[in-house]
Amino acid sequence: MTKIGLEIHCQLTNLQSKLFCSCKANYREFSPNANICPICVGLPGSLPMLNQKAVKKATMISMALNCKIPEKIAFFRKNYFYPDLPKNFQITQFDAYGPTSIGHDGKITIEGKEIRIRRIQIEEDPGRLIYEGTSEKTQITLVDYNRAGTPLVEIVTEPDFDNPKQVRVFLNILVDLLENLGVSDPTLEGALRADGNVSVEGGNKIEIKNVTSFHDLEKAIHFEITRQQSLIERNIPIISETRQWDDRRKITISARKKEEEQDYRYFLEGDIPWVKLNADHFKKLREKMPESIASKRERYVEKYGITNQVADVLSSDKYYADLFEQSYDEKNAKEIANIITTDLMGLVDTREKREISKLTHQHLTELANSIIGNKITRNSAKTALQEMVSTGKSLIEIISERDLDNVSDESTISSIIDEVLNEEANAVQEVKEKPETVNFLVGKVMKKSKGKADPSMTLNILKKKLGIT
Amino acid sequence: MNLGISAIKYIEEIKNGNLTAEEFVSKTIERIQKVDSKLHAYLSINEQAVEQARSIDKKIKTKENVGACMGMPISIKDNICVKETKTTCASKMLEDFIAPYDATVVSKLKIEDTIIIGKTNLDEFAMGFTTEFSAYGPSKNPWNTEYVPGGSSGGSAAAVSALECIASLGSDTGGSIRNPASFCSAVGFKPTYGLISRYGLISYSNSIEQIGPITRTVEDTAFLLNIIAGMDPHDNTTIDNQNENYLDNIDSGVEGKKIGIIKEMTQEGVDKQVSAATNKAISNFEGLGATFEEISLDMVEYSVAAYYTITATEAGSNLARYDNLRYGYDFDSEGYEFNSYLSKARKKFGPEVTRRMILGGFVPSAGHAGKYFLKAMKVKSKLTAQVNEALKKVDMLIAPTVPILPFRFGEKIDDPVALFLVDINTVTANLTEKPAISIPFEISGGLPIGIQLLGKSMQDKMLLQAAYALQNTVKLPEVPI
Amino acid sequence: MISKEEIEHVAKLMRIEIDDHVVHIDRIQKMIAYFDILDKANVESEELIVREQTIDALREDKYIPYNGKLIENLKNYKGSYVRAPKLI
Repeated sequence: MTKIGLEIHCQLTNLQSKLFCSCKANYREFSPNANICPICVGLPGSLPMLNQKAVKKATMISMALNCKIPEKIAFFRKNYFYPDLPKNFQITQFDAYGPTSIGHDGKITIEGKEIRIRRIQIEEDPGRLIYEGTSEKTQITLVDYNRAGTPLVEIVTEPDFDNPKQVRVFLNILVDLLENLGVSDPTLEGALRADGNVSVEGGNKIEIKNVTSFHDLEKAIHFEITRQQSLIERNIPIISETRQWDDRRKITISARKKEEEQDYRYFLEGDIPWVKLNADHFKKLREKMPESIASKRERYVEKYGITNQVADVLSSDKYYADLFEQSYDEKNAKEIANIITTDLMGLVDTREKREISKLTHQHLTELANSIIGNKITRNSAKTALQEMVSTGKSLIEIISERDLDNVSDESTISSIIDEVLNEEANAVQEVKEKPETVNFLVGKVMKKSKGKADPSMTLNILKKKLGIT
Repeated sequence: MNLGISAIKYIEEIKNGNLTAEEFVSKTIERIQKVDSKLHAYLSINEQAVEQARSIDKKIKTKENVGACMGMPISIKDNICVKETKTTCASKMLEDFIAPYDATVVSKLKIEDTIIIGKTNLDEFAMGFTTEFSAYGPSKNPWNTEYVPGGSSGGSAAAVSALECIASLGSDTGGSIRNPASFCSAVGFKPTYGLISRYGLISYSNSIEQIGPITRTVEDTAFLLNIIAGMDPHDNTTIDNQNENYLDNIDSGVEGKKIGIIKEMTQEGVDKQVSAATNKAISNFEGLGATFEEISLDMVEYSVAAYYTITATEAGSNLARYDNLRYGYDFDSEGYEFNSYLSKARKKFGPEVTRRMILGGFVPSAGHAGKYFLKAMKVKSKLTAQVNEALKKVDMLIAPTVPILPFRFGEKIDDPVALFLVDINTVTANLTEKPAISIPFEISGGLPIGIQLLGKSMQDKMLLQAAYALQNTVKLPEVPI
Repeated sequence: MISKEEIEHVAKLMRIEIDDHVVHIDRIQKMIAYFDILDKANVESEELIVREQTIDALREDKYIPYNGKLIENLKNYKGSYVRAPKLI
């Protein structure tokens, strides 16, 4: 009976400022210690100023994960000493006087399995440490406070996962959900981190920390299950401890600092009065909540007749979903969905590519409408799309520059067909016996016309000339 | 020139052209040079004070917009940040710390053209009652230099009462403004929690402490409050005071006011001279039209234990940041391991601070929080409920500020519990977040006695009006130094 | 009654080295013994009174760069980092 639980840290990267001060929330573009102020560096006399939007975004996460949210929330201090912690305490949330963190007792269903969310809390990220020097004697620690104070939401699940694959599925869904809510950009390095805990056959729980990617987490959990099972087989007791993932050797190793030494002395953060969340707050947030991925998917399939697979891809990626929402109408929805999920995908599959893409939703609308109106073939559309992404030119410009006009006048097609029939005597023979092979000849016509010949018109004329139906 | 004039009188004299800021500030510096070697009220002096005063005189002469303080010299307790000035909290741990920013209260004073004349002495990190715990040596009581000036804002109170400045800003966590004000015959005011911004006050116990003025007259406190009180976006715990004017109608008196005498603070353990003074104050008030009744707050008995439990917990956390890595004193970390460096570096904390931090590690710890910390929080809540109930029946409460007369150096320092109990009359106001003021009332055998009033939340003005009325029933001798 | 070992353990937790044990331990024991008075207060059922604020009172989410020299004024910095002792 394997039980796996997760602790996910999500940075609210879409906020402008840090959790308790007005330094930038996204610290990644700064040189070391260039994004700091007296508050996030913990200068004597500084006081925290709680970010309003952070509370709102965290509320939205709680709502999206079906959590119970208290009427008022409080902040606590978690006291310990570490060089990346400017005040040598972290301002976080803790349930000391009843539930006071932003969410608890929630749930989410993944592939038919219900995963319970134990709690969701708002807290600040510490700074970053860099180690310099190789020998024990000379090693020093360098501290960069740029990240200190970045807003985090911690999501803790119950140990409801049965196997590592479920964990991976859950994490993928969670990442899409958080991105869809507009609270975090998962493509930013370090924006989403997860730790796990594993117990096997009712034995002690082992925490796994220091895993840098979700991919590695799956591996680490898998390793840990195997390790624990082998210990049980040999009747060796499993001690409750924290283990670290060793990325090089791909194993978990016992962390030397024992957690039981730590006494965090949690108490209320006196500098932040409890925040009242009234009914009005929830009502406004519910109105502003972006449509959920599941709801979008349903709408795409039901209303626009988009296939399940296409709808899956379209709804779960915010970038595609947004493009779709801005460009579609009743008539071209299906076509646009197809363009996005087949031709466009390869052109903008990474963050960098999306950043430099010059494609707009107007481009997509024009393109789809032109395909539907037979002004341009699908083949040419592929070419046009590439051009739009790299140069941002309008469809009209591209068509004229690259001569992509749909060839749809009978005489031109007819003469191209005649040429092909002359060149492909063998194929012509074959068609007379197996009419379904006519597509080979259609292909030849398309090639000769550089993809511009209207495919259905071509087929009709060809069939007439060959005397088949 | 009379250095003992009030802030209000100072402004009048400046406006009338009878005085210049430069003259007054120069004379103040002279006074400091003359008496401070005996009193040790100051830890550092502003070398540019006279020059700054000169610039303000220029503004006055050319009829430029001058701030309300018109160059008056005010001192600041050395646990409040003044930009580009050493701010040590009277600790060796912060020996070299130069604050890179002004506390909000200091900014507000500077905007009104105040001269920050110097930083005053305190018990280290504001933990103490006599300044005997200052790492730089104690301050002396100007009324008798063999006696303690009170604490922790002992330097501020001594400086004000010895005419080394017009006023001072101190901080009050358990009586740290009121206690020294009482011992030095000055006015000491702790506002409603949240009235004055704590941004820039180096935290000791953040859920309870407040900055407040120490002055020679009640009107001066009201005047300063008008400048420094009010909501501050930098301090989430500040409350909107609707731009209240505390000087307006300060003389409205106490006719018809009901005052409660706190039984637990006026009977047992009170020196007889203090008791007599309290009774005199009560009859003076009666003569002005106030009526009295006895009020019992039985939670007062537990208030000191609750106070020290809560403040030790918060202090243990607030002082954790002093790891000497970003600010502090000179001690190279080369060759050390992180945890052992911290433990060694933090040896620079004085003995009292060290003890409080150990208490602060103990009382909220996993095995003991329920017995100590949580109980203390509940005592705080129950005491608040009791005081709120009392303040429905009466308008304010009265008691002596300190139950005993000022004492000699070394007298109390060895008995920790006796030292705790010096605060028994003052911690209630902090725990219940109510405004409280100490009014200098009598000099008995050469030693000052102060009377305390405690008021309703956000009714600081009413308290000042009553204090003003009491102040005007007595005429106190001049400070002997 | 708090033992000498417990005091030493807490001192370690708080990262404070205490040399003059005897002096401190005696005083600390007295202080904690005094706190036992809280048991008599009979406050088990008391509700905690807490300070509150509305969500509208909170700071607006806006990036405002701090305009002042900070890192140069902190001691112990190496280049643009703050230097800390090594961690074991």
